[in-house]
Amino acid sequence: MKTIFLVDDSATILLSISNILAKAGYATEKAASGEEAMKKFQAGVKVDLLITDLNMPGINGIELIKQVRKLPAYKFMPILFLTTESQQSRKLEAKAAGASGWIVKPATADELLNTIKLVLR
Amino acid sequence: MDELTSVFIQEGREQLQAMESGLLELEQQPDNHDNINGIFRAAHTIKGASGVIECHFIEAFMHKVENVLDRLRNGEIHVTGDLTGLLLRSCDHLSHLMDVLEAAAAEPPEDVRHAGDALQLELAAYTAEAAGASAGSMIEAEADVEASGGGVVNTDSWHISVRFGPHMLRGGMDPLSFLRYLASLGEILALETIPDAMPGAAEMDPESCYLGFEIRLQTRSSKADIERVFDFCRDDCELRILAPNSKLAEYVKLIRELPEDDMRLGEMLVRCGALTQSELEEGLFSQQQGKLPGDGDPLAPQLGEILVDHKVVHKEVVEAAVSKQAQVNEKKAVEARLIRVQADKLDQLIDLVGELVIAGASANLLAQRSKQSELVESTSILSRLVENIRDSALQLRMVQIGETFTRFNRVVRDVAKELGKEIDLVITGAETELDKSVVEKIGDPLMHLVRNSMDHGIEPADVRESRGKPRRGTVELNAYHDSGSIVIEVVDDGGGLPRDKILQKAIDKGLVQPTQVLSDQEIINLIWEPGFSTAEQVTNLSGRGVGMDVVRRNIQGLRGSCEVASVEGAGSTFTIRLPLTLAIIDGFLVGVGRSSYVIPLDMVIECIELKENSADRDFLNLRGEVLPFVRLREMFEVEGEHPARENIVVVQYAGQKAGIVVDQLLGEFQTVIKPLSSIFRHLRGIGGSTILGTGEVALILDVQTLVQRNVRKEERDMAANNAVARSTTQN
Repeated sequence: MKTIFLVDDSATILLSISNILAKAGYATEKAASGEEAMKKFQAGVKVDLLITDLNMPGINGIELIKQVRKLPAYKFMPILFLTTESQQSRKLEAKAAGASGWIVKPATADELLNTIKLVLR
Repeated sequence: MDELTSVFIQEGREQLQAMESGLLELEQQPDNHDNINGIFRAAHTIKGASGVIECHFIEAFMHKVENVLDRLRNGEIHVTGDLTGLLLRSCDHLSHLMDVLEAAAAEPPEDVRHAGDALQLELAAYTAEAAGASAGSMIEAEADVEASGGGVVNTDSWHISVRFGPHMLRGGMDPLSFLRYLASLGEILALETIPDAMPGAAEMDPESCYLGFEIRLQTRSSKADIERVFDFCRDDCELRILAPNSKLAEYVKLIRELPEDDMRLGEMLVRCGALTQSELEEGLFSQQQGKLPGDGDPLAPQLGEILVDHKVVHKEVVEAAVSKQAQVNEKKAVEARLIRVQADKLDQLIDLVGELVIAGASANLLAQRSKQSELVESTSILSRLVENIRDSALQLRMVQIGETFTRFNRVVRDVAKELGKEIDLVITGAETELDKSVVEKIGDPLMHLVRNSMDHGIEPADVRESRGKPRRGTVELNAYHDSGSIVIEVVDDGGGLPRDKILQKAIDKGLVQPTQVLSDQEIINLIWEPGFSTAEQVTNLSGRGVGMDVVRRNIQGLRGSCEVASVEGAGSTFTIRLPLTLAIIDGFLVGVGRSSYVIPLDMVIECIELKENSADRDFLNLRGEVLPFVRLREMFEVEGEHPARENIVVVQYAGQKAGIVVDQLLGEFQTVIKPLSSIFRHLRGIGGSTILGTGEVALILDVQTLVQRNVRKEERDMAANNAVARSTTQN
């Protein structure tokens, strides 16, 4: 079973995405902030994909992606970030930081799962 | 309501509050970029989450708000009073929308919808210019695609040329997953791998990607769908998509633009069946002539692309620098570590702890009766632990009152504007904690008191100046702990309560007789009487049909009390006293006849013996002070003779002392308050019930009512005595 790591400071989004993923047969790992996520990564959490929000207080999504990419174990892990239509420039910034792709919020379950399928090996 | 929606409502309200306090701060410091980011983030989170729960009316509205905030964040528009006002009103509207969602309505009612439409129009004024610009460029881009022409290649499949960028793998992407995903759109008829970019083994970097593909795909999906597959690597790869029946010229353009050798690439296209040999020759031949059939000016769009690219890069560099700065600052903010727990789960825990306290008390009692010292020892350790658990459990329900207080920043700002007065709000003791259920219910009465102080208390600036006061009035909200209760004060430095007017009004309303002689405090206390209002003109603030009597009733419902002190010309102080918690108290157990009663321990001052000789009076001399007392035996009509030795428990409430005469003093006792059922609610003097360790029920005395009853009785008696004295002198 593939495990997907969700990072978002919004409890609503964490819950809704993990519900969708659970139904689709993925295991999930969750963190409500960049700091919490980094701790788990540093502890070597085994995940196949990271999905993170960009707008978070403290370590934001882009900073998180940069830091995760620096850890050898996660060098090639697919990373998706959550964004909205209005944030085109952030997409480039996140890509530059090492993200693989993005999910435009709000996404339907199909869109979400399709995108995950696209990047998961 | 499903779990997701309730999570959203809770989160949304928190974010809304963050937005609101951010906006208020924005008025003070318009250049605080962190703050603007914070406001944007809050709005953004609400929008995102509302989309997730498919609450479209909130999402659509927040989209507009977010657009404005985004422009503000990018420095395209600037902070003005109008803008913050509009955003604050948007917050209010959002709060209404949340209410609608919470009430599980599918659509907001007519009036809310109209208000929302009006706000959206106003918001749109701040984004109008930006929208115009981007729409224009869209049309140009469309025109671009139309421009090329030439002979048509007859095929029913799409042709896709893709050259993946070198950073693909490092970005966590696998070329294979793209191809696999592409196959899910339709059928890949042919696929040629282009490894031309692959360097010699020595120079090859195993982490870089050197591959390209020529793909023939049969699908019913649109071009946009195919493009979407490559969305994540578009910036980093070369992608050409040709629709079925594309013009030959477009194939030629493709061949020419891709980095590989023209002839070799042409062969590849033929090999994967995109072109026939003759088509290829035709195309390349006309290219060699330096002129493509029907091709316009291929350079112009390219230049356009470069310009756009250039612009994007430029913007990105600037933003990256800005966001880097923001990150540094944000890290400084200390994050509170919180766990969300449903309130009912906590209530359940408190309930169980309550039962545990009762069971502990019972075990303690039995142990003491058994007179086994070891057992007594161990149960006393146990009960100490239970006490600790009780305290920690109650602590879980404690929240800081600050959140409730900060709401008033907004209220004071708005109301002051509405009234045309200049008023500051000063908050102290925001960190004072009290029970969540109390905090929830104290908001309304507090709101009323604050509005009241602003409306009736603080004078207009000119009047203040003429009275030698600073032009800006001050309303203070203070909270602090005081002997087992929480005190909340609403203080204003306004005109104070006008005694003459109050008295006149009370006489007009028939609340007091014109002949009655009242002390200053008694006159002031008249404002708590039902149906009392001194404002000559009922303003839309205070005149909401809610009098101070309702405020008092609400507070009394929380087992609290409220008082007012006022100095004419200098201001008024409204003091609310509330119990720390509503669930468990330390009680003092007393017995009358065969029944037991509990007096809240924090109100007990001392116990004294009642001397036989004061049997027919109901007051006594306590070290020079008059101490009125009530006899529980008489009050509750307990049967049987009173014992030879009776005791008085001296209690104090809000500065007034009184005695309660009981038969026996049974000692301290942890009491879990069980509310009385509604048929007993009207009983005065009883606040609740509890279960003793022995399983018996004991009533909890409502000391406040008892003391007040006592004081009133005393006053009545004195008034009667005075009357008697007067009539005797007249005779």
